[in-house]
Amino acid sequence: MALSDYQRDMEGCSRCSSCKWVPFNQIKSWRFAKNCPSICRYNFHAYSGSGRMIIGLSMLTGRSELNDHVAEIVYRCQLCGACDTACKVYRDDIDLTEVLLELRAHCVEQGFLMVEHMAAIDALKREDNVLGEPKAKRGEWAEGLPLKDINRERCEVLFHAGCRYSYDPDLRDTVRGAARLLLEAGLEVGIAGAEESCCGGRAYELGFRGEAENYAEDLLSRVKASGARILVTPCADGYAHFRYLYPRMGKEIPCEVLHITQLLERLILEGRLRFREEVPFLLTYHDPCHLGRMGEPFLGEWKGDKLQRPMSMKRAGRKGIYEAPRNLIRALPGAELVEMERIREYAWCCGAGGGVYEAFPDFASWTARERIEEALATGAEGLATACPWCVRVLRDAAQEMGAELPVYDLVDLVLQAAGIAEKERV
Amino acid sequence: MTTATLETWKEISEAAYRDLENAVGAENVSREPAVLDGYAWQPTINDDPAKWVKRPVAVVLPSSTEEVQEVVRACNRHGLKFKAFSTGWGVYSGPTYDNVVQIDLRRMNRILEIDEKNMYALVEPYVCGAQLQAEAMKRGLNCHIIGAGPACSPLASATSGWGVGWDGVYMSYGHRNLLGAEWVLPDGEVIRVGSCDSGLGWFSPDGPGPSLRGLMRGSTGALSGLGVFTKCALKLYPWPGPSRVNVRGLLLDAKAEIPENVRFHLCFFPDRKRLADAVYRVGEAELGYLATRTAVAAFIYTFAPHLLRRIAGTRCLRDVLSRGVKWGFVIMLVGASEEEIAYQDAALRRILADHDGLSIEAMGVPAIGSMVFMNFFRVTAIPMVFRMGGLFSTALDRNDTWDTQLDWAEIGESIKRKWIERGGILDDLADNPFMALYESNMWAHCEEIFQYDARDPKHLASLEPMFIEFSVAAIEKCMEPLSATDARLRKIVSPLMGHYNEWQKKVSAMVDTNRAADTGMYCDEVDFDFSKVEPELKAKLDRLVERFRWTEDGPPS
Repeated sequence: MALSDYQRDMEGCSRCSSCKWVPFNQIKSWRFAKNCPSICRYNFHAYSGSGRMIIGLSMLTGRSELNDHVAEIVYRCQLCGACDTACKVYRDDIDLTEVLLELRAHCVEQGFLMVEHMAAIDALKREDNVLGEPKAKRGEWAEGLPLKDINRERCEVLFHAGCRYSYDPDLRDTVRGAARLLLEAGLEVGIAGAEESCCGGRAYELGFRGEAENYAEDLLSRVKASGARILVTPCADGYAHFRYLYPRMGKEIPCEVLHITQLLERLILEGRLRFREEVPFLLTYHDPCHLGRMGEPFLGEWKGDKLQRPMSMKRAGRKGIYEAPRNLIRALPGAELVEMERIREYAWCCGAGGGVYEAFPDFASWTARERIEEALATGAEGLATACPWCVRVLRDAAQEMGAELPVYDLVDLVLQAAGIAEKERV
Repeated sequence: MTTATLETWKEISEAAYRDLENAVGAENVSREPAVLDGYAWQPTINDDPAKWVKRPVAVVLPSSTEEVQEVVRACNRHGLKFKAFSTGWGVYSGPTYDNVVQIDLRRMNRILEIDEKNMYALVEPYVCGAQLQAEAMKRGLNCHIIGAGPACSPLASATSGWGVGWDGVYMSYGHRNLLGAEWVLPDGEVIRVGSCDSGLGWFSPDGPGPSLRGLMRGSTGALSGLGVFTKCALKLYPWPGPSRVNVRGLLLDAKAEIPENVRFHLCFFPDRKRLADAVYRVGEAELGYLATRTAVAAFIYTFAPHLLRRIAGTRCLRDVLSRGVKWGFVIMLVGASEEEIAYQDAALRRILADHDGLSIEAMGVPAIGSMVFMNFFRVTAIPMVFRMGGLFSTALDRNDTWDTQLDWAEIGESIKRKWIERGGILDDLADNPFMALYESNMWAHCEEIFQYDARDPKHLASLEPMFIEFSVAAIEKCMEPLSATDARLRKIVSPLMGHYNEWQKKVSAMVDTNRAADTGMYCDEVDFDFSKVEPELKAKLDRLVERFRWTEDGPPS
């Protein structure tokens, strides 16, 4: 696909600005009524979903040209999908996120790149992860755990840790704990260790599509070789790309794909995982974009006039993962869930996505602080989420703000309730 | 003012740009063409097939009244024009001239005060209807939300443009709720008109002499042609329901918790007369929190456009919708107590019985009730109007008596039917008026909505000829056409209406000696390009204009 393939979508923009707001039925206050970090931070219409579509149309019709400033506008966006979801409440014929992705691919084709993104892509090519950490150390997080090495043996469940979990020292206990929970439930779990690679999704979002396809091929071959019946990942980014991007590229994963919260929920329901300890907190839950609205599976490509596209093929986030993490919180002994105003399909982004964390850390932090404010407004004693990127940026923001709001990876809370965290420390 | 191309667009001078930067800060002004085009793409309610309006020379984002003043003064110093908009919805938001600085009021977004006791809110331009309603509901109050939907600024519709909405039966029309306004004149001076409550805010009584409030707002509003409104006080109304309505889901599967004190009736009558009479009776009984006549086909194309396409191709179903349930009326009742809602319900049922009407009580049908409640209460159905074809437009947009508006709807329907048959617009079964009632149905509003796809050349080619056909019908039937904002039509019809825009120009000259405000939507005129209009229609228009033209002696006999 190319930018020009989406000209009808862009021409279809009525400039109604619905893309800037939480779907109107869900607006509960003045304070938390807006959905798009980019337009809220930078204010010119060009920073909204609609504005970026108009930029695309303006360039395609020869009214304006791509330059460094315009490319930066394109990149100052987390690709969180909130604009797309809001638009699709009211429209059938516009795929806003696809336009945003095409704009990025167009920028790359034309040579308008962000230095920080190039560094991430160079790191990816060199070390197979966007953090630039040594590939050889990718599997170190699993040292001492009785996990199978899928490079040598077959397994029931293939555990894909993802880039950030593999290398972020703050999240080391979390990812180890996730694997321990699966082992505790009696599953036969395998990992690729140092041979695990990035899912490639971040490369795709940055506009480097060739790289993304290569990584998809790599993962597919590993899944096939492992003989796994389940591919599970604690990384929400990876989950979204396995469920949406890979099938869209024609690379269907030949087994069930689950996020860790889904598998843990299943294990609890089956009685294979039991809770022993109290988690006596009032918790609120942040929906990661890539687990929620962007985690909706690929629904198929509609080839005809999008005005005639059936609702069932409209990517509006309805089939994202919202209940599994909430059910986990509800199942925690002593825990209580209190919701923020912007949740589920219309959740506010954490700020880390779309290459913003790498290129515009101040913007990522600003976005995360806004989310911390919203969490604080609920009166919650803790903020739980289910994505390593969200955990990272939200924790940092809470610390910067001096907010008394611990940010938990949901896996850590499950570990605590299962009494495994203590064992790990011992 | 010329047509919307880039041929005459020029970059802003360095000196002027520096002045704008000084006014609002460098990060809040842009002259990047791609950014400016975000303000030049204005397809909604735009009958110009180009859809691009004039590209501004710069856009500024002021955060205060003082910054707006500085921007306006800079425009005066450098021979530039300015055009302000708040939430921005429709072609009226964009520039109509070259050398215009677009003032995007997005950063002025606060609800400054909600006074429960005196039932008013003091708001800035970028507060949207949904935000104000959400906050008002927490205090047992509600605000008027206009028909363009909850994304729109209540300040904009009260001070600067129209203000029609389904809740008009209870909460009236935009400017009728305007208690006071802070107004930056086109030379940068600030004046405050009206009242922000006695003793709590400003109080600037009108008179003696002409009313400033009347001059600044008039019937339609000046759409930034007379300056910039930076704050306003708006009347709020009682809301005896919950402080928040919980809605789960976003699309057709959305489920709302409907308050117990709300009833929603879809009423149908055998013919037009009985519908008209019943609605007058409803007004006399002072019933209704919101009310409208909306055709069943309009419901379907909003919520299920795919279904309407199928129905349109099935003759028997078309007939059922076009004739069997043609004379419909929607009304929402809200009671402050069980007794009151029971009384209202009984009174409505009595009126229905007296006029051979029947009602579907939507709240008794959970799927329908859940779907319609918020879509009417918060007007969230309106953005879905874009679903059928991507764009829509409207004709014959005026306020008059209920009977007259029913005439209007029928005339509009007949014109639309022709254009649907020609493939010039989408088939929505033709009968699709947007109607609202005001102040116990003493007056009403009607717009004839038509759906089209701007990506279809045949539809684009139909826009201007249709526009003229609607206008000819309006003149012929002595009704008021949609002339308020279109400078092309203004030139044709103003001579038939007392040369009203000449008076507007005098008002403009009085407050805007440097002609700094963009008055294209307010009082200016341009020639209509009749090349796409059939010669017979043009000849008919010429005859009508000649017949109804005002002379120096006054109106024609």
